[in-house]
Amino acid sequence: MRRIQTMPTLILGLALLTGYAVLTEGSAVAASGKPVPSTFHYGKHLTDAELVGAEIWFNATAGNARFFTYVYQQRLGVMIDWYRVLRSDARDARFHRWGLINDPDCCKPGDPNCPAKTYDETYGFDYCPGDDELLKYVGKSGYRDPACDLKDVPLAKEDPHGRTDMRQSACDLEFGTSTGALGLRKFPNPKFDKVKWLKINGGHLDSWDGYTAKVAPRKDREAPAKSHLNDGSIEPPYRIGMSCGACHIAFDPIRPPKDPVHPKWENLSGTVGNQYGRFAQILGSGMSPNTIEYQIYGHSRPGAVDTSAIPNDQINNAGTMNAIINLARRPTFEEDIIKWRKTNQCPAGGNERTCWCEPGKDGKCWERGRKKEFVHHILKGGEDSIGTLEAIQRVYFNIGSCSEEGWVNHLTDMRQLDPTMRGFGQTPFDIGQVRRDCPQFRAIEDRLSEIAQFLSTGAPADLYQARGLKNNDALVEQLNKEFGKGAVEQGRVIFASKCASCHSSQSPPFEKRDFRTVSVDPKDKSIRVDWLGNDKVIPVSEVGTNRSRSLHSNHMQGRVWEEYGSETLRAKPGDPQLKEPSDGGRGYYRNISLLSLWAYAPFMHNNAVGPEVCGGPLDEHYYSSYVDKDGKPLDSPPPCWLFDPSVEGRFKLYKASMKELLNPSQRIPKVTGFNHEVTIRLFPKLGDGKLERFVDTAIRFPVGTPAARIGNFRHKELVGDLVMARVDFDKLKAKYVARYGAEQGEQIAKTIQEKGKGLLEKPGSVLEAGAELRVVYSNSLAVIENDGHRFGEDLSDKEKDALTAFLATL
Amino acid sequence: MKRARWLISVSLALSQAVLSGCPPTPDPPPIPFSQSGEQYSDKVDFARLEHELPLKPSDLMKITPNNLKGANQEQVDQIYARLTAGPIPDGVYDGQMFFPKGSSERARLAEIVGGGIKGFVVDRKAATLEHIGEFIWKGKVFYRGEGVLRNRIEDLSLLKPIVGPNVEKIKKLQVDGKDAWLLFPAKLYCGQSLLDGRRESVIIDYAFTDDLPGYREMPDVLAGREGLEIRDEIRMVRPGFYLGRAYMKKVFALNFTLYNKAVADKESSTFVGSGTVNEDCWIGNQRMTATPNKAGNQHVRLTEPLE
Repeated sequence: MRRIQTMPTLILGLALLTGYAVLTEGSAVAASGKPVPSTFHYGKHLTDAELVGAEIWFNATAGNARFFTYVYQQRLGVMIDWYRVLRSDARDARFHRWGLINDPDCCKPGDPNCPAKTYDETYGFDYCPGDDELLKYVGKSGYRDPACDLKDVPLAKEDPHGRTDMRQSACDLEFGTSTGALGLRKFPNPKFDKVKWLKINGGHLDSWDGYTAKVAPRKDREAPAKSHLNDGSIEPPYRIGMSCGACHIAFDPIRPPKDPVHPKWENLSGTVGNQYGRFAQILGSGMSPNTIEYQIYGHSRPGAVDTSAIPNDQINNAGTMNAIINLARRPTFEEDIIKWRKTNQCPAGGNERTCWCEPGKDGKCWERGRKKEFVHHILKGGEDSIGTLEAIQRVYFNIGSCSEEGWVNHLTDMRQLDPTMRGFGQTPFDIGQVRRDCPQFRAIEDRLSEIAQFLSTGAPADLYQARGLKNNDALVEQLNKEFGKGAVEQGRVIFASKCASCHSSQSPPFEKRDFRTVSVDPKDKSIRVDWLGNDKVIPVSEVGTNRSRSLHSNHMQGRVWEEYGSETLRAKPGDPQLKEPSDGGRGYYRNISLLSLWAYAPFMHNNAVGPEVCGGPLDEHYYSSYVDKDGKPLDSPPPCWLFDPSVEGRFKLYKASMKELLNPSQRIPKVTGFNHEVTIRLFPKLGDGKLERFVDTAIRFPVGTPAARIGNFRHKELVGDLVMARVDFDKLKAKYVARYGAEQGEQIAKTIQEKGKGLLEKPGSVLEAGAELRVVYSNSLAVIENDGHRFGEDLSDKEKDALTAFLATL
Repeated sequence: MKRARWLISVSLALSQAVLSGCPPTPDPPPIPFSQSGEQYSDKVDFARLEHELPLKPSDLMKITPNNLKGANQEQVDQIYARLTAGPIPDGVYDGQMFFPKGSSERARLAEIVGGGIKGFVVDRKAATLEHIGEFIWKGKVFYRGEGVLRNRIEDLSLLKPIVGPNVEKIKKLQVDGKDAWLLFPAKLYCGQSLLDGRRESVIIDYAFTDDLPGYREMPDVLAGREGLEIRDEIRMVRPGFYLGRAYMKKVFALNFTLYNKAVADKESSTFVGSGTVNEDCWIGNQRMTATPNKAGNQHVRLTEPLE
């Protein structure tokens, strides 16, 4: 990017010489597709280090194209139909259908000024900067990744690894080129076989239809239809990777696009979080709707995704993409941390599991140890609490980087029911091992400082600026006109007395605090002093919102992200108000920031408080989750609100969401249910030592089955207990007496034993047993998604309006 | 019910079966293993295992189809995870199926059908259906150039109820003077191991075989996507000798070996000397073995084959 600043003419000339001539008005790109810094991300002028960080954030996949092309499909058994999501002839529908944001620098083949004239040339995808080179390598080896051209900034002098530049090659960042949707990147597949491709796609290069079309089963009509996406012998022309930007690049609330289908760089920010993205649906786009995987994980609200769906902890808990803003003033907490830290030497002959030096690099070493450190609470329950840099790096693994080298072997196989076998449960991801075995890990790790510097540029979005007003006073004037004379000041007083104890990072008393003070420290770049949240974790029963996300367990000891959780977090006591297990750091939510609240409705960690939003007629995924008091879907639910990133669109959605927030008794409950019947066919062999039989049976989940109820259920423990009930009842009884006390524990054990008796004749009765014993086996019993946070319901209507007005100024 | 029984029996014919007779259990291969506990959480991580106890060519030469039957499942898994896919085989391979010794044998069997817990499974003596596989499945024939594999069936009479008429149209091959019918075609490719993701295995996939020459709906459909979704994966122990794992509906069923004596005799001595073979599949980005903080650590950047 620095090169672009200093040599824009040369770059433009090179771009034209290489055949790229579709440069959008006001933009220019280098080979990797990086945007002109003066026109994106709030229009800030970024430092060289921040620009490097931005380029990595926007473009680096760190090798996860193999994950999204092979691992996901073959190992995890979930199909992604990348053509359905990214086909260029549906570019104009992409935002409303998938919530993806079109790359301003890409074009549809055949459009005026687009270098590609036909879809054949691009295998049906958009044409993007760098494709002139990339397309030469489809089906061939030798592609040189544009990431190799990244110009690193010098390491800080105080960096223990800074004596000489020993960073992992930038090539391992693996940028590829844009797919046309920001954050999704493509790479030429060297194993692509043109002859096979033409055969399966009816002689067409531009279509993937033969590859992705579902083939209906010939005999068993209940079985889900499958496509050649399940056929690993067919290699598509591209491998698709994902950068962090896929979820985090979005429309700048201050400078929204006139047309969200055709944004320009100046309309985009890299840190606000995509509030429209349908990543659950994208990642299940090749699945039939009558599969259990799709119905449990494929219905997240726009802007929310269950990041623990792959490293599965059996809790259905989609959450929003966090806005990354005002980081310099985000609260930190002194916690007990075990982690790897940079050093420049290790004792000779020492244990490399506690100190390791990279071979061939002079003094590039890490040492693992326990220390007190000040850290952020990053995730919604306070997890990812061993440091900012480690939290950033973990994101790359959660999107599949180094998945083969160090991740998938630690995940749960939902089909594995034998606790003596690998895959029965999670085991901890080993940071030291992945650093050693995965060069992409090191490529990211060696540049985390630059990424963090870029993320620190994320700033609050002031409504007064969005409205083009001179200052906040002018906004107050407008708000007082709309909400009543003196509303903003009245709202400030209410906020100070009723909200600030959780939603301010300043210390009490709050009555005279200025919640909008801007830092005068030039290093802070005019960010706010108050983060408008204290980030402390509080028991979920205090806030009362849907508790599934707070019961997330991947950071517990023995679980996949153990090494990313602090000892302080894990030592917290459980929430005694909950029926579900909540030990090991579970059962908490951190108090979130209210910075720029006007721009981030609907509310709560799952986007469930406020109107439902959707992409309109082009949206293939929306269906109502509104239910009546008995949990039945409403016949006439409120309509969804169309995606509207304009300033007034956001403000209307904010007001409606505030109304729901402050009037909890008026909220219509939302429960996401299956929208298609699911049948699971089983051929279990059951026996009691004397008799054995194979039984052809099926378990059916009807339409409307709450997805959370199935996704939260520990089916493996139920199966184990049913067996134990038959072979060692006393052991089973002891287990539940220890958990629930003598009387209740024995009763539960007897119920399990009773339910187990019918299994031989009727294996499907396992579903009935599960329903009756739901309290015992559920990681979360919560199904209503928009309840809780009833604070403020006792305010008068006028006071609620005043609070709404004041919060809009933050 | 009848169909279900056939599905199970045929799947086991493809993917090996329980041995009815119990010859003396051999000792496991005399190679280094890591101690592991009974529970999944007590098993050694494969990356750590391979880093600290890599298998040398001389170790691999000590492994035989016979002594693998003396290994428990954890030992078999530890061997498999330290292998690479090697070259995609070509030609005729003799097959043997095996359940390893140890208590987990019963659990393995139950795992196929969704039980998976000791005590929840059948008496092995009563499991007659599974034995069919032992008698009819004799190995596999690889057509490397076509990316296709076919299974060798020596006794067609047991399959007649489901094979139907026109048996004479089934492709045949003579192996060691005996007729072998070639059924259950599969596609061959490099792909993900369901046990160890750190490198690819050679995949033998029955899901989409209806477009292959000679496909015969009955019985071939029973192994495919509308049947039991059989998927095998193999890695090379040494030239001419592969260790395999068979899955049904993505659930591990059992182990098998494939052996071609001619290839083994011809290429083993070179292999022992060089320790290298052609790799058709992705073997990871790099490999480093443990010699902590000393000069001379292996730190080799590997490149993807065929690219």
